[in-house]
Amino acid sequence: MMNCEQLVDKFDDLMDGSLDAADMKALSTHTEGCERCQQMVSRETALRNLLQEYGDSNVPTPTATYFDEALVTAARTGRKQQQNRSWLKGFGSALAAGLAIWFFSGAFVQAPVGPGTDSGIPVITMAVEEARTVNLVFSSAVALDNATLTVNLPQGIEIAGFAGQQEITWQTSLSVGKNLLPLQLIATMPTDATLLATLKHGEDDRTFRLRVDVS
Amino acid sequence: MDPKDHQPLDGFDQLLRPHMERLYRLAWRLCGNKSEAEDLFQDVLTKIYVRLDDLADISEPATWLCRVMYNHFVDDRRKYSRQRMVIVSEAALPEQSVESLAGSDSPSDNAERADRLLRLGDALAQLSDEHHEVIQFHDIEGYKLKEIQEITGDPVGTVKSRLHRARARLREILANDGTFF
Ligand SMILES: [Zn+2]
Repeated sequence: MMNCEQLVDKFDDLMDGSLDAADMKALSTHTEGCERCQQMVSRETALRNLLQEYGDSNVPTPTATYFDEALVTAARTGRKQQQNRSWLKGFGSALAAGLAIWFFSGAFVQAPVGPGTDSGIPVITMAVEEARTVNLVFSSAVALDNATLTVNLPQGIEIAGFAGQQEITWQTSLSVGKNLLPLQLIATMPTDATLLATLKHGEDDRTFRLRVDVS
Repeated sequence: MDPKDHQPLDGFDQLLRPHMERLYRLAWRLCGNKSEAEDLFQDVLTKIYVRLDDLADISEPATWLCRVMYNHFVDDRRKYSRQRMVIVSEAALPEQSVESLAGSDSPSDNAERADRLLRLGDALAQLSDEHHEVIQFHDIEGYKLKEIQEITGDPVGTVKSRLHRARARLREILANDGTFF
C-alpha cells in the first residue's frame, strides 16, 4: 500500500512516464481514497502543463536556414581550430630543409631570402598536379602575440588540406627567432600568379608575395 | 592539415541534425535571451565538431550533447551571463503564439491564458538559479530525472528533492502574487 509520502516521491516518475505498472496501480488506488493527494496530483499536473505551455511559448523558432548556417559555421571554425593546433606544433621548430622564402625581422621589416627575381619577388615553378612544400620562415626579433596570418591563393593553387579555399587565416603568436610554417602547395592548373601572405599584428601588417609559375 | 578536412559536413550534419532543435532550446533555457543563446549554441556546435570522433561512439548522443552544452555553459557562465527570464513582456510573446496557446477561440480566454503565462514567467524569474534550472530542465523542457542526472552530474534523489522545493517555492511566489494555485 502506498502512503502519502511515497506518492509524493513517485510523482515525478509519473510525470516522466517511468512508473512501472505496479506503482501506477498503487498510485491510483491511493489517490482514489485520499483527497489530499488527489488534489496534489491535479494541482501539480496543472502547473506542469502550464509550465510546458510557457516553455513552448517563449522559445523562438529559428529561421529555416539558421541550423544549416550554424552547422557550416561550426565546421569552418572547428576546422580552423584544428588547423591552428597542427600548425602551432610545427611552428617555431627547427628549420626543415626546403625552400626558405620569407624572412621577417624586428618590426615588420621584410627581407626576402632564397630564390628571387629582379623585382624582388621570389618565384617558384611547379608542374600541374605537382605538390611542393614551401616553408615560410618568419624570423622575428620580438615575440608577437595574437598575430594573424592570412594566405591568399591565386586560382590554380591550393594548399593541401584546404581544398577549394582561396583565403586561409590563422591566428597565432610568433616566438623570438625563426618561426616556420610549412605549406604544401598543390598546382591544379597552369598559372603564373602571386600568392599573398599577410601577417597582421595590431594595427601593423606586412604582406609577403610569392610568384608561382605553373606550366 | 588533415585529409579529412576535405569533407567538412559529412557525418557532422547527419549526427547533429536530429538534435539541433533540442540543443537550441536548451541554449535558450540556459541563457534566457536570443543573442547569448545563439552564441552558446554556436560555440557548442564548434566544440562538438572538433570532438566529432567521440560523438560517433556515444550510445546516447542526445544526452551527451546536452551535457557538453551544460558543461560549457557552466564553465563559461560569465560569458553567457544569464539574463533571467524577467523579459516575459508582451513583446516576448508574439501575437501568434499567444493565439496558439488558446484552447478556445474566445478572445477573453486567450487574454486570460496569456496573462497567466506572463505571471508564470515573472514568478520563474524570482527563483534561485538552482531552482530555476531544475524546473527548466524537468518541467518546462521535459527532461527525465535520469537525463538530468547525466547532464548535471547530480544524483536523481537530489534532483527530485530540489524539484519539489523549486515547485513549492514557485507556488508560493504565485500565491503571494495573488495568482492561481
Ligand atoms: Zn495521500
